[in-house]
Amino acid sequence: MTTTTLSDLDHARDVALDLSGWGRRFVFYQPRNFAFWGYLLLVGIGFLVFVSTLAREYDAYGEAIGLAVTSFAIYAGLFWWFTQHIDHYAKLPAKLMVVAFLWGGFAATGAMAANANDAILALYGKTFGQVWALNWGPGLAAPFTEEWAKGSGLLLLIAFAPRHVRTAFDGFILGAFIGLGFQIVEDITYAMTSAGTQFGANQVGASIGTIALRMVSGVAAHILYSAIFGAGLIYLLGRPAEPRKVGRGLLLIAIPMLLHGTWDSVGTVAGPSTLKLFGLLIATIVVALAIVVRVYKLTVKREQDFVRDVMAPEEARNVITAAELDAIAGNRKARKAYLKASRKRSERKRARYVLNAAYALGDELAAARGADTDRVRFARAEVARIRAGVPSPW
Amino acid sequence: MADPETSMVSVAPPPRFEPDERWVPADERWFGLDRRTIRPTLAVFALAFVMSVVLPVVNAKVPYHDIVKAGDVLQLEGDVTFVPEPGWGIISGVRAGHAPLSGQYPATATVEKGAVKFTVHTGQFHGDANQLLDQIETTSEALNRGRGVHVTGVPTTIVTDQGKQGARVLVTGPHTAGIIAAFVFGERGVEAVATGPSDVGAEATAAVLRMIRSISQTGEGKR
Repeated sequence: MTTTTLSDLDHARDVALDLSGWGRRFVFYQPRNFAFWGYLLLVGIGFLVFVSTLAREYDAYGEAIGLAVTSFAIYAGLFWWFTQHIDHYAKLPAKLMVVAFLWGGFAATGAMAANANDAILALYGKTFGQVWALNWGPGLAAPFTEEWAKGSGLLLLIAFAPRHVRTAFDGFILGAFIGLGFQIVEDITYAMTSAGTQFGANQVGASIGTIALRMVSGVAAHILYSAIFGAGLIYLLGRPAEPRKVGRGLLLIAIPMLLHGTWDSVGTVAGPSTLKLFGLLIATIVVALAIVVRVYKLTVKREQDFVRDVMAPEEARNVITAAELDAIAGNRKARKAYLKASRKRSERKRARYVLNAAYALGDELAAARGADTDRVRFARAEVARIRAGVPSPW
Repeated sequence: MADPETSMVSVAPPPRFEPDERWVPADERWFGLDRRTIRPTLAVFALAFVMSVVLPVVNAKVPYHDIVKAGDVLQLEGDVTFVPEPGWGIISGVRAGHAPLSGQYPATATVEKGAVKFTVHTGQFHGDANQLLDQIETTSEALNRGRGVHVTGVPTTIVTDQGKQGARVLVTGPHTAGIIAAFVFGERGVEAVATGPSDVGAEATAAVLRMIRSISQTGEGKR
């Protein structure tokens, strides 16, 4: 049996911090990075396109635009909270997530996919006829244009933030944020189109159905597609913390394109039957959600291993217990099992606080690159204070 | 598991130096830029160029010939139909009896001949033809903000071959003239817009009026 010394654990922590990029600060202004200029140019173009569209249509469809922007801002806020909820591990900087969101919202839409979609749909109509284009055009245009427009953002972000985008899970999270940005801007555009369907009258009534439908279906649409695509792109390219797996990468890139194509063709496949349409929509959503959960579980494992490597020296130094280490480096089930182990409600409450303090300690250790800084020592003291049930002096 | 003896030593290593994120290794610089970032960025530029320039240019170069034959009828959402003029080109819209598999006809159809373009759009509307025309004017004015075409003259009545009474108004713009007609079939509003050069001939004007008068809704008589 080999004995693991504390210096081995500290070394493993250093390796984990180096590989994962956890805790590194992201600097947006990088004038010597060509990807920075590429990002600025394409997001800038997309932003101008979006703002000029809003400005042009605001006088006519102001009510619908106001409703759509407000609704989707709340939607984006809820999604942000959800992402924080599922990502307990080697977290990416919030600034990088905003950068991803803006790519999806502006560059991928206005500067790329929108132009390509219009052209491809028109070309389908010219080549195969209007009816064919109405039937199959959307399902054979958007999966190629939109998925690659969004996915190319992640390719740019790898060059823009190479020290942060290290694992397939990073690709999964950043992909989801790119998808969210795309979804929000596309939904606002859809709401504007709906507002015009009744000649500009009854704008709220005309667009509210679209807004509600897009919100409900959105979870199993762009956010999900791009998350899977993002993980696939990282597997395809390989990163320092994620060995290259070409087959898996190509599969995870193909799956969202297939899901997207299916979603856009559901009306055509179902035909005039509302019941069939409804059934197919639900089936597509269920399949998509099942796949994304599977990809999440597949990609998150490496992040959990990083958390274990970073926090194991804390267990060895008796800052946290072995059960707490298993809980913070484990999945939801492991955390639940740890919390349920306490008999009394007050103990369970305290156990949850200890876990939260341990997560905070992990973030501090990552930010300090494993060094013993004042902030790290304070975070350790906080774990001990909460465990002892001493009230905060602050 | 950690060795209990060594675990008592709690001195963590000092912070390791990491260069600033803007720093570029000397052997990776190319005219001041980080050469490792050039290829992926160019790949993204290439994709953006294909999507935003190449595809629209190819589309513009590919001609489209779907010429209306005698007897063709275009159908729109809500069972609205109109008879396009033979010889005009169909830009968008589908013929009656050739619905997409979803069973849902599109809400808009456009035909054109030379510089004259004729578009029919349908949607839900609660009100009469005059109110619809007012709504169309209000929305158009808000979208155009004084630019483009604007309404000239007062609305007059127009009656379709089916006997449906609608409202129409003339529009003019810089080097452009046209007509907007509005009909309401129950709760289904129909807007027909024709625009072309201000010196368009009498033949094209007559063709546009024939298309407007051909607008009907299947089953309107049953309602």
